[in-house]
Amino acid sequence: MDNRPATQSAQSADLTAQLAAHLTDEQFSDLLLGAGAPAVQAHLKVCSQCAEEAERVSAAIGSFEQQSRLWAERRAASHSVLVPRRQSAFAWLHIPTTPQAWTAAAAAVALAVGVGVSVRDGFNFSDRRAPSVQTTSMHASVAQTAAVQAPIAGVQPAAQVSPATGVSPTTLKADNDLLSAIDGELRADESTPASLYGLDTYGPDTAAHGARLRPAKRISE
Amino acid sequence: MQLVLDTDMIACVTGEPTLTELDDIEALDRIYRSRLLRFVAYSTGDQDLAETIVQDCLLKAYNARDSFRGDCAVYTWLAHIATNLVRDHLRTRKFQFWRKIQKTAPDLTEMSSLLPSAESSPESQMLARERAQQVSAVLESLSGNQRTIFLLRFIEEMELQEICEATGMHINTVKTHLHRAVKAVRLKLGGRI
Repeated sequence: MDNRPATQSAQSADLTAQLAAHLTDEQFSDLLLGAGAPAVQAHLKVCSQCAEEAERVSAAIGSFEQQSRLWAERRAASHSVLVPRRQSAFAWLHIPTTPQAWTAAAAAVALAVGVGVSVRDGFNFSDRRAPSVQTTSMHASVAQTAAVQAPIAGVQPAAQVSPATGVSPTTLKADNDLLSAIDGELRADESTPASLYGLDTYGPDTAAHGARLRPAKRISE
Repeated sequence: MQLVLDTDMIACVTGEPTLTELDDIEALDRIYRSRLLRFVAYSTGDQDLAETIVQDCLLKAYNARDSFRGDCAVYTWLAHIATNLVRDHLRTRKFQFWRKIQKTAPDLTEMSSLLPSAESSPESQMLARERAQQVSAVLESLSGNQRTIFLLRFIEEMELQEICEATGMHINTVKTHLHRAVKAVRLKLGGRI
């Protein structure tokens, strides 16, 4: 008995059923991934519904890809404005963060340090001299104060503060910490990626940006 | 962009890291920021959070550039870092219910004026926008893993093996998440499931 016709008819029926049945989720997914099997491709040729659906989903994903890419490119191009700044350690104080405000704060700190140093020096001077030269010592104190305050009119006051004798290490450390914080805030205003990530260094070319970018010298004993 | 891809391919073949990109934080930022931003923004659904995560990702990559062995593309490595950061943030965010109120999802409608208009009619542009918004909407309904893998495959056009490297998942797991994501997208777009 030759059962070849029966086998052929069974295979034909399977093929017909395969073509008639719509694509499964896995087949559809593979098709979108570009790995459609020959049977899937054959089905798409005879099934307009699956072909139309595959085209529609593929086009939708393509549109989403295109629009999201345009959105991301525009967003990234304006990131210097949109990127949030690093959180300052003094944020809870709600201190103004403009360069002008920090420059004024630095000047005020330097003024306070300068006056304090000069007053202390004045007392020391008078202690070492006789009371009769009090007027002279006051003149010297004023002169020293003026000498210290003169650079304050510039932009880098802390760099000009001379080392103070007799100032406690605690005070020096507090002043240095504050000046470092001010320098950090001033540097954070730059909008280059390196500075946003806190990775920039002070090279020779940074001098061109002016004294605002220069780090304040640490006060040493 | 083509130049970057070619550089990545050379790096994978030779096994040498692309030192010029990784040694320059500004180059990293310039080349990969927009891609990472898109991936992270749609992974988290929050564009402001995405800015922070992308910045963290680039900084981590720059600081850990010595550990990059060059056995995959730079972007795959960055995607791996970004995926971990997104997971961390989403895990933390489960306990921050107010984030749902504050978050600002990427808005595709704002891009309507930038879409190319020379080769398509206003009607077809409108249709394309609607379909893209449908995809965007269905992404929000997916689980985190499904969304991440769908984005890496169809938006970042990464191969399955690269997705495995970026997510740390087995390839069968990646395929399962991908099939489920495609099923959801297909259902949203009116397909028969």
